[in-house]
Amino acid sequence: MNLSKVGLVASSEFQLAVRTKAFVIGLLLMPVLMGGIMFLQRRAMDQVDTEARVFAVVDRSGKLFAPLERAAAEYNAAAASGKGGPSFVPVTVDAGSRSAEQIRVELSGRVMSRELFAFVEIGESILASDGSAEGSFGYYSNHPTYTLLPRWIEGAVTRIVQAERFRMAGVDPVVVSKLVRPVKAVERGLFVRDETGKLKQADTVDAIRTLAVPAGLMFLLLVSVMTATPQLMTTVLEEKMSRISEVMLGSLSPFEFMLGKLVGASGVTLVFAGTYLGGAMAVAVTQGFGDIITARLVIWFVVFLCLAVLLFGSFYGAIGAACSDLKDAQSLMTPVVIIIIIPIATWMTVARAPDSLFAVAVSLFPPATPFLMLLRLFLHPAPPAWQVGLSLVLTSATALGFVWAAGKIFRTGLLMQGKGASFRDLAKWIRAR
Amino acid sequence: MDTAIRLREITKRFGDVTAVDAVSLEVPAGCIYGFIGPNGSGKTTTLRMIMRILLPDHGRVEVLGDDGTAAARDRVGYLPEERGLYKKMTVRRLLRYYGRLKGRRAAEVDRSIGEWLKAMGLADWADRRIDALSKGMAQKVQFMAAVVAEPDLAILDEPFTGLDPVNADVLKDAMLDLKRRGTTVVLSTHDMNVAERMCDRIFMIFRGRKVLDGTLAEIQAAYGADTIRVRTEAGRQALAGLPGIESVNDYGNMQEVRIQGDPQRLLQQLSSRTSVTYFEVTRPSLQDIFVRIARPGPEHASPPTGGRA
Repeated sequence: MNLSKVGLVASSEFQLAVRTKAFVIGLLLMPVLMGGIMFLQRRAMDQVDTEARVFAVVDRSGKLFAPLERAAAEYNAAAASGKGGPSFVPVTVDAGSRSAEQIRVELSGRVMSRELFAFVEIGESILASDGSAEGSFGYYSNHPTYTLLPRWIEGAVTRIVQAERFRMAGVDPVVVSKLVRPVKAVERGLFVRDETGKLKQADTVDAIRTLAVPAGLMFLLLVSVMTATPQLMTTVLEEKMSRISEVMLGSLSPFEFMLGKLVGASGVTLVFAGTYLGGAMAVAVTQGFGDIITARLVIWFVVFLCLAVLLFGSFYGAIGAACSDLKDAQSLMTPVVIIIIIPIATWMTVARAPDSLFAVAVSLFPPATPFLMLLRLFLHPAPPAWQVGLSLVLTSATALGFVWAAGKIFRTGLLMQGKGASFRDLAKWIRAR
Repeated sequence: MDTAIRLREITKRFGDVTAVDAVSLEVPAGCIYGFIGPNGSGKTTTLRMIMRILLPDHGRVEVLGDDGTAAARDRVGYLPEERGLYKKMTVRRLLRYYGRLKGRRAAEVDRSIGEWLKAMGLADWADRRIDALSKGMAQKVQFMAAVVAEPDLAILDEPFTGLDPVNADVLKDAMLDLKRRGTTVVLSTHDMNVAERMCDRIFMIFRGRKVLDGTLAEIQAAYGADTIRVRTEAGRQALAGLPGIESVNDYGNMQEVRIQGDPQRLLQQLSSRTSVTYFEVTRPSLQDIFVRIARPGPEHASPPTGGRA
């Protein structure tokens, strides 16, 4: 094998890919756009929805409206001074001599005519402290998807009712809150002795370090590989249809050509993933998690990224070589789609029990290994060295096998024009001399 | 080295179709060797086997003294029938890429690029993208891509396609220049005039088998002097029903006639019918021989023996 030719193809592939406007836009503008959209959405929610929500309160207990009005005033003052959003305006309803039915019909009419946004009906016995109290109150509106107001009323009424019940029972609410304070379990790792034999303080377990970082890495790998490798199919198809591949095969073997393209694609994927990883690192540092992205993590990420590009890139490259147009290629892509679902469907199960038989088996299945073994490497308990070693051997062997088979498909497929190939044809081309 | 290409009984099948059937051939070094044959006759498959893009099912291919793939990939330049250029690359970058893929150092390739761009009149276009070039310019770039690494053997499949007469002349001169430098040129073409005028030897493949191989003179000699070019006042009508005529190729003002028998007798018969203004006894042209082989009809005999396969 001529490595300098492989390098030339890789360098050309890399330059052709990263110099395109589409790559630069996808790489840099996409996060900016997404961040901008998220910011705008957030601002829009707060700024646009500033309408006052007037709601009627039928308080049959006779003791809740006043504190509810005070709570609303406090909420509105906070909204006006900082976070923005709508204001809540409760209005009391005097039942007078009308029946409950008459009041409900009248208030429903006022909601429909937009005079009110909603109305609330609080029962007489809601404050009973002997256990006979009603456990709910009615909220009526013709805006079922608007949850901000009902959730706020629910919280405010609950707090008011609890305080009133304590008062009626002669219990100091402050004392109660002290007595019912929850007892929290602080999760830590195991104790270990350091080199001097001294017992080392166990680290506190936090969700970001234990799950968010490994899962985030796995998905970054997945997105990077699935963004860069399908490009191989497109470029190979274009080279085949414009007969560039015939010129190339006059200068190097199909295997060298394929490998060069894969190395180039690995470079493109590394730039893509590196940019996002760098961004994540910057965010982590600003949020006080600067220590979570370590050299060990980056090295394993790069190793598994290269293996994943070889695996999926060779598959996509072979499809490009075998087909004559993108429509043909769609039908041959089904296996990749099925394989890529495996890490997405199983990562939570693997994360919950990283040392289970299922987690071991699925992370040793070569097409899923780059994603799931990477995940396991940063979960606790970490996989034993033999499993990591075996996964590397199995995945490397599979990747080389894929590249070899793709090279064989290249040799035949690149010179075939006209109808697309079936899996049967591909198998025949792989077996061919 | 005396022989640039040596093919020994090579056969290539695609499923049930035998594209190339036990073809043997020796291409002497330093010559221009013409490859002719109708579409689908196995010409491109043979060229691809020489390039080692395809491997024969049987037989042996030796290129520049090497029966492996190294020589084919590093010392052979290839211009395929259908063009393959990266449209978004500049001319210079593309030529450098193709040249370096042949194992040449960057400095050597750059020097060669400069010379070829000047020779082909494209020096001002060196830093323009391929998709900005005209069809003729792109064709010249494709040719340069095949020869920029200064190969010992250049395989050119229909190099004149899409070129106007001026650019065709530039390319012809470039090919002759290659020959003067000692490069062996395999020229695959459908233009029999080009093959007659430029090629030292001609090989014809038909239905996967070699049917002609030799110099133009050898090939024509094998077909004898059975061709008459005649111009009469009555045109083609004057030839109707005359004995000994095997076929008539009518060019309107002139007819090319293949006969069996004595040309003088034909002249006498024609003179008795009409006024004969031109009468030439000649050897068949390569075009005529090609058509005789590739369009066999009741009046077309199988290739005669001698001076061919």
